Amino acid sequence: MTNNFASRRRVSLTWRLALLSVLGLMISMPFVWMVASSFKQRAEVEQPQIVPHHATAHNYPIVLTLEKEPVQNKKLDLQFGRWYFNSVFMAFGTTLLQVLTSALAAYAFARLKWKGRDQVFMLYLATMMIPSVVLTIPNFQGMVSLHFINTYHGLIIPVAFSAFGTFLLRQFMMSVSPALDEAATIDGANHWQIFWDIVMPLARPGLIALTVMTFLGSYQSFFWPLIMLNDGQLFPMSVGMMSLDTSYGRQTELIMAATVMNIAPLIIVFSIFQKYLVSGLQLGGVKG
Amino acid sequence: MKKLFSICAVLFVAMYAVAQATMVHPKEDGKVHLKWATDPNPARVVQTSAFGTMFPDTAVAVDPNASGDSTKVIVQCATGTGADLMDVTADKMQSLVEAGILLDLTPYAKTLGFDPSHTYPSLQKALLVEGKQYAFPCNVAVDAIVFNKKIFDDHGVAYPKPDWTYDDFVRVSKELQDKPSKAGNKDIPFANNDGNGFVNNAIVGCGGQYFTADGLHSTLNSPEVIKAVQLYADMMYKDKVIPTPMDSANMSAQGGWGSGGLTIFSGGKAAMVETGRWYICQLPNFPEMQGHIGAVPLPRVGDRPSGGACGARGAGVNAKSLHWRESLKFLQYLASPQYSKIIVDDGDSLPPDPNLASSGKALVNDIVPDPEFHQAFVTAINNAKPIQYSPFIDAAITSRWYTEYVQKVENRILTPPQAMKMLAAQIDQQIRTNLERRPDLQKKYEQVTGKQYTPDWS
Repeated sequence: MTNNFASRRRVSLTWRLALLSVLGLMISMPFVWMVASSFKQRAEVEQPQIVPHHATAHNYPIVLTLEKEPVQNKKLDLQFGRWYFNSVFMAFGTTLLQVLTSALAAYAFARLKWKGRDQVFMLYLATMMIPSVVLTIPNFQGMVSLHFINTYHGLIIPVAFSAFGTFLLRQFMMSVSPALDEAATIDGANHWQIFWDIVMPLARPGLIALTVMTFLGSYQSFFWPLIMLNDGQLFPMSVGMMSLDTSYGRQTELIMAATVMNIAPLIIVFSIFQKYLVSGLQLGGVKG
Repeated sequence: MKKLFSICAVLFVAMYAVAQATMVHPKEDGKVHLKWATDPNPARVVQTSAFGTMFPDTAVAVDPNASGDSTKVIVQCATGTGADLMDVTADKMQSLVEAGILLDLTPYAKTLGFDPSHTYPSLQKALLVEGKQYAFPCNVAVDAIVFNKKIFDDHGVAYPKPDWTYDDFVRVSKELQDKPSKAGNKDIPFANNDGNGFVNNAIVGCGGQYFTADGLHSTLNSPEVIKAVQLYADMMYKDKVIPTPMDSANMSAQGGWGSGGLTIFSGGKAAMVETGRWYICQLPNFPEMQGHIGAVPLPRVGDRPSGGACGARGAGVNAKSLHWRESLKFLQYLASPQYSKIIVDDGDSLPPDPNLASSGKALVNDIVPDPEFHQAFVTAINNAKPIQYSPFIDAAITSRWYTEYVQKVENRILTPPQAMKMLAAQIDQQIRTNLERRPDLQKKYEQVTGKQYTPDWS
């Protein structure tokens, strides 16, 4: 009986492992293809074999403009370092401001009692239902009026506020016992102190989850920077890399080399915080 | 927590200061600096610098606009902040004009030397919307059949000759299929690079068009158009000389030929491809192809002369640009022989100035020194016609529906007559709806027909 059970369990485990391996392979294939293509030459870049016949590491120094592009025999007109910095800077700035503003708003919705609070919160959440594409022209017009076109703040400030972030952190803050606030108030703490010293540390899993999600989203943002910027010096990587796709042909091997370098910060951030990301979302999902 | 946020805030401010401090601002040189929304391909460096030489008081810089995507241009121009100059193609021109984005160039074109008479007669209509000029070509696109001489030699098949017919095309393709490769290579006669383009060329070759001259009815159900689409379908499914979409997918999966027809051709796996002269810009990426390519004009249909569709990537001026007067200089530059010479040399399609494309010899450059290759494109542009769109329906919608129905034929969901009849009916219905809803179109109807618009006009 025990042997039979153990055998069935082994078979079930084997099947599950096999299924997960296949799924894992399917998910990782685009990444493997991306890395492999970054070491291929142009002539074989769109061929499906993973391992290059004539592997080359030159695509990386070409993208970094350390080497000449062999066909044109000159260095490409790319500002890779600048675009890299811009991507990190914009993602960092957006994340910092969005987490801060969301936390402040969430505190107001979760811990303060004021007339119409829940109605205002519902109204705030309702903004999530408006498709972003509908808001593109009005938002862009707003940026024009504020003279924010072609500026860093034009990219950061409009996305420094998030209904989703507010919702997520509100759920966390509602799970913190009100008794702590009351005790702090008795000890003479004001709202500012309660916010920073009591509620924020206890909402840490939610803050980390929001930080990771915002950073990943901002780092990859494409459409808003595309329409906001005309000056190549301000481009993030996502927009700058389009310079490798021109009417002279798509330089896929260089795009892949740039992409491999581009996603490095994302992988680092995700690897460090993935534990908090999953647990944070689960926690935010069940409490409140 | 407060400390962490404070550190991050300081870091953010420091990064902002570094970002601002390291920005390179254009020097105050007294010049007017124009922005040109176009794809940032390497040839732009030479093109913009030559403009600066011709007009020293004006400079133009590229506002990178990838792959002809017009979203950025539309959003920016709609709010009055777009680039001074922008790329325009015939199928997008009408929408841009209706949105008030493009400047009417007619009052200035003749005086400044960039009116339609400065480019190919076959292309002149494509620069106009309702008789007014809104663009001047940057380069001119027309297709020919480009072939790989190595594959023809390997199979022992004679190269195609000008003045050939579609029957000859099928015969040559079958010969390539039937005669084995001496080197034992597996290749195909034709790489299907762009089904829509192939059919468009065949439509013009058969004497068809999308619309009647007044634009009030679609002629996509005409015998000429149906014949063209049938020709395409037959080559895929009856003669089996053009890869079907399924064949192309299988090639990608089995043989490593990639997905695009040009990739297949450039990889030396297809004997022929239908493409423009711009293909040679990519040749330096495929050194094994150099010295081995030839070109012939598109095949004729029956007794009709060889002919295909032509088009242009033109430049238009942003009507809300503060520098629209200076932007006109750029169009003068595009019409100049200096600019056309750059296009001849870099191989980016045909130059806008027909005088520099008078013969294959005139187009010879370092990439392809064979005059016969270039002559195919000279013949093609002389016989080409642009696809005509209707002012009563958005050209982008027409193009999208056309693509959908061509795909239905490619995938054998519909026969060519069924597909084209349904497409024409759909377009005609949309024209009727547009006319019912839009008084401006009703006025246009009255101008075109000389009759008063009534709801039962059709």
